[in-house]
Amino acid sequence: MTLKITRRKLAVALAGPAAAALAQPRTPASGPGDELTAARDRLAMATGEVARQEVPMATEPAFQFKA
Amino acid sequence: MAASGDEIFFATIPELNARIASKQISAEELARAFAFRLEQLGPRYNALALPLRELAASQAKAVDKDLKLGRKHGALQGIPYGVKDLLSLAGKPTTWGAKPYAAQVFDYNATVLDKLEAAGAVLAGKLAMVELAGGGGYRYASASLTGPGLNPWDLGRWAGGSSSGSAAAVAAGLVAFAIGSETSGSILTPASFCGVTALRPTYGLVSRYGAMALSWTLDKVGPFARTAEDCGLVLHAIASGDAKDPGSAGKSFYYAPQYARPIKELRIGYAAADFSERADASARPAFAAALGVLKEAGAQLFETKLPAFPYDEILDTILAAEQGAIFEPLIASGRVEELADKAQIAGLKASLAVTAKDYLKAMRIRRTIQTAFSGVFAGLDALIAPATDGPATPLDQPMIPLPGAPPEVSSPAAGLSGLVTAGNLAGLPALALPCGFAGGLPVALQVVGAPFSENLLLGIGKEFQSRTDWHRRRPPA
Repeated sequence: MTLKITRRKLAVALAGPAAAALAQPRTPASGPGDELTAARDRLAMATGEVARQEVPMATEPAFQFKA
Repeated sequence: MAASGDEIFFATIPELNARIASKQISAEELARAFAFRLEQLGPRYNALALPLRELAASQAKAVDKDLKLGRKHGALQGIPYGVKDLLSLAGKPTTWGAKPYAAQVFDYNATVLDKLEAAGAVLAGKLAMVELAGGGGYRYASASLTGPGLNPWDLGRWAGGSSSGSAAAVAAGLVAFAIGSETSGSILTPASFCGVTALRPTYGLVSRYGAMALSWTLDKVGPFARTAEDCGLVLHAIASGDAKDPGSAGKSFYYAPQYARPIKELRIGYAAADFSERADASARPAFAAALGVLKEAGAQLFETKLPAFPYDEILDTILAAEQGAIFEPLIASGRVEELADKAQIAGLKASLAVTAKDYLKAMRIRRTIQTAFSGVFAGLDALIAPATDGPATPLDQPMIPLPGAPPEVSSPAAGLSGLVTAGNLAGLPALALPCGFAGGLPVALQVVGAPFSENLLLGIGKEFQSRTDWHRRRPPA
């Protein structure tokens, strides 16, 4: 698994209010708190993008997933 | 090239069958030779989690006895293999590649191990992996109980993950085949980096009973081997319905190369940009040549693109939700801090924040992805793309940015760049085929098909490998 910042995530971020913050180069840090914040930010970007998707109301989740 | 005299360690399964059948070597001799080699050379690549020399000898003796009595169990009889340390072997440690589970011992076998034993395959050792299959998102190759998986083609490069040991052990001739697993990329990436053939089966085709759960709806178990044919033979033995795996599709698989459709009849989708723009410059000649081989074989190639979905984000959401639920006890206990990779620790902790709403939305979109891929495969038999954009990465290259670092800017969106993620979300099978070298390191194609189209994919692989010898290349001795 890799959790790179993807083009889509980047595009979403740059299109939104986080653009200014992301455009600012920041000094890398490696404390556990920073790691957790970064991980939460990455996940928040992912769930944010998922939330923006439109799905027909009748679409059921892939519970009991089958290929 | 490896020194002469060790050809047997790089033989295909049918070649080993012939040697055993002609009594050039007994199953026990073969097992002892492979187990010794795995024990001696496995640590060189950080590929070995647990040697099983005595078990291998014992299983091989039983095979020799069966053969003497005329009891034939199929192509895997007497063939030595290794298994990712994510599958349980009764009474032996199953570490999941992670320090918090270093002393974990189950009292039952994974279904796949029972099926391989029934087929007469001989278990030579358990193989190293990225800790917890890397679901939290790891930054460095060193995210493993056994250290970074080292690439047999270049010890300064990564073997790929999370099935690092499975790929490296096959590449280095330490086992004849290996079992690995994929949630998203964990079979295809190490196969590509190490230059071996590997198959990610359709979701539900191979039982995951006894395998570590990372994501109930994404995990698959599959083979690494020397050829597409070998992958077919292994899949034939391990695939089946299993009431002990709730995700089981209840299907068997019969490897039937004799019924493979001629490649000239196949409609294969690809995106030229994958091969000419997205791929690393060093790998483009190899990928272009591979496309040329398929064209020369008569495959009908059609420019195509993936249905438009935010695949990465959907997969990240589903994976986070499921792994958060699975590893919540580890996180709550504080022992998550014992993991080797800081990003992995943070990723697991962060995963607890995914809401039911997020998860269900992602799973609803996933349903529409499956429908969209049904449409894709109504017009095409398979998709091809590079398995990875380029060869194995240096060991110290971070896979995700350091906290506070500016986000990585990827190359422009092109072609089928989301195919690994999309294929995993839709539960599609994929075959990794070594297709050349870039800077002395192997690269591979991925061939992806509709659910349960493994025979078709293996047929394409067999045809490709009849026209190339990349899969027979061996790393330096």
